[in-house]
Amino acid sequence: MALVDTPPASADSFSRASFTGSASEYFGIWIVNVLLTILTLGIYSAWAKVRRKRYFYGNTVLLGRTFEYHAKGLQIFIGRVIVIVALIAINILSIIHPLFALATWLVIVIGLPWIIKRSLRFNARVTSYRNVRFDFVGSTGGAFVAVTLGGIVAFLSIGVLAPLASRWLWRYILNNLRYGDRSFSSEPRLGALYRIWLLPFLLFVLGGMIVGVIIAAALEMERGGREDIGGFAFFMVFLPYVVVLIYGLAVLVYRTGVRNVVLSAALLDGRHELLSDIPRLRYAWIAASNILVTVLTLGLMRPWAAVRMARFTNEHTGIRINGDPGEVMSQIEASGSAISAEYVDMEGFDFGF
Amino acid sequence: MASDEPVAVGEWHPPNTSRSISADLREDGDGLSVIADGAICAAASETGVEISPRVGSIPRRLTFPDGSVFETADNDGVDAWLRRHRGARSGLIHGLEAFRPRLFVFVVAVILFAFAIYRYAVPALVEVAVFATPPFVPEMIGSGALASLDRTVLEPSQLPEDEKQAISDGFARLAVASEGGPTAYKLNFRDGGSIGPNAFALPDGNLILTDDLVKLADGDREMILGVLGHEIAHVERKHSLRQIYRVAGVTAMILLIAGDVGSGLEDMLTQGGAILALSYSRAAETEADRRSVEIMRAAGYEPTALVRFFDRIEAVSGKRGDVSFLSTHPDTPERRADVLSYARELESGAPAR
Repeated sequence: MALVDTPPASADSFSRASFTGSASEYFGIWIVNVLLTILTLGIYSAWAKVRRKRYFYGNTVLLGRTFEYHAKGLQIFIGRVIVIVALIAINILSIIHPLFALATWLVIVIGLPWIIKRSLRFNARVTSYRNVRFDFVGSTGGAFVAVTLGGIVAFLSIGVLAPLASRWLWRYILNNLRYGDRSFSSEPRLGALYRIWLLPFLLFVLGGMIVGVIIAAALEMERGGREDIGGFAFFMVFLPYVVVLIYGLAVLVYRTGVRNVVLSAALLDGRHELLSDIPRLRYAWIAASNILVTVLTLGLMRPWAAVRMARFTNEHTGIRINGDPGEVMSQIEASGSAISAEYVDMEGFDFGF
Repeated sequence: MASDEPVAVGEWHPPNTSRSISADLREDGDGLSVIADGAICAAASETGVEISPRVGSIPRRLTFPDGSVFETADNDGVDAWLRRHRGARSGLIHGLEAFRPRLFVFVVAVILFAFAIYRYAVPALVEVAVFATPPFVPEMIGSGALASLDRTVLEPSQLPEDEKQAISDGFARLAVASEGGPTAYKLNFRDGGSIGPNAFALPDGNLILTDDLVKLADGDREMILGVLGHEIAHVERKHSLRQIYRVAGVTAMILLIAGDVGSGLEDMLTQGGAILALSYSRAAETEADRRSVEIMRAAGYEPTALVRFFDRIEAVSGKRGDVSFLSTHPDTPERRADVLSYARELESGAPAR
């Protein structure tokens, strides 16, 4: 009888995660999800989400074992109904009178930290690995600093202080994340965050310059005579798409860099090291080509794209168990039971980062 | 009666712990039991054990009443036991999802359904929503919009009183000829500033005419009335309310069906929904043009006076022909031709389309 079935990880190498799902297998799950969602007028979408999540969690393998997603379809369905009803009510009220729009906007901005905290907690609590649930113990006040304040600081500094805001956000997320009775911790260095910030910020500046040049050229054309007004209109129509493309790329590169820095600086239980080493430009290429392929095939290649992305990110994520791996696992086993309380809120909405 | 062959081979977790031991799942009369090293770890009757539904080939979880969990990759073994005890209906969804030629039929069905929803269900729902909207909603939208326009872009009109009076008299004749009657519409004169020569209708029957349009007309009041007839038609047919519901309906359809499309793509799709809604807006413009011809004719004016507005606006802006597909209004030459042919149709007594 083996107490521990973890493949031994040598002290200097990380054990990487892998993804065992396949595009053809997921295609069947995906198309049936879409079909049943249509046939049930949207009701099945909640159960569809559970099947989708379980497929991706259940095929994410780390140290020979998979993750599991535990939310129930009914739970997600109720959450969605509440959210949709609230959104419709807000929309109708804000069309009726602009003042309502302002008021609901204020309520949402003030309530956002609470919503984010609850959502992080829900997602942590419905996730398990080796029969042990995750948990999230962050406070609403912490979410206010990490998300609202951080967002304001990043926005007002036109992105110059974004690494500071990212540090607040990820310290809030990771330092409050629990695996059973073990806690995660991460103290990413600001210097490391600024190193990965440089490239996306240059993209951001470049995008601004391109927009400036186009607008200046268009104004020049307009002054020079109205013959080329069609060209001007053409530029103005496509300008938003150019801007979205460049800023989308900058955001993608930045987020990947932040993930690499904060996860690589994170520890589980104070000693097991996490790793994320996603090549940023290849990540951007995969994300962009996924979108292109999905659009060109009218969505039919979406399952392939999703599996491709999951495989890529999993293979660039890992953990190094420091110390005797057997000892680590048996320690978790000793006190893990009390923490994994089977209690989940009826809260189905996503707040992905 | 326990058979010799185990139902499945896997790992058993005592309640709430990551510790696990290799174990066999065996049939035990009608129930199931987990056996490791000859000892029974957990047992339950057929209905007492909770078995996670199969998704792809991810590991199966069997939760026993004491909270312990048996996990196995042997999906087929578990399925065989389920079929014997719970009948063929277990695993129905997974059966649909299997990668077989049948999935091609599902793909075709999804495409047909999506098209049918867009083409028939959304317009039908829009009609229901328009019908169910209480009259105070467009009134509040209109008064709210007029108030905020007055605060921001519009200034009081600078036109001489007799000019305003002459246009208002003509407008009254149009209102009598329209469906709502004279009380349903109110003409407001405003200095539009940067808006330029324009006229627009609010859903509560308030029409706004900018001074620049009156100047553009250069004394051709009948032309102004042609434009106002077009705006009256927008109110009559509740075009703005329909547009609001339509955008909401198309967005909801995309979000519901697409479900798992990835965040970047989701934004693109909702933008695409807005572009689809624009094509509806072009259809609404054509309908309003034709209704203007009818109203002008009924009020005893030149039915095609609206065409003179197209001519002038074209002469001033210097814009010819090519209008991009992103435009809310149809091509000007197209509109001119349509108005003229529709007027001829009415003159010759041919049935209106």
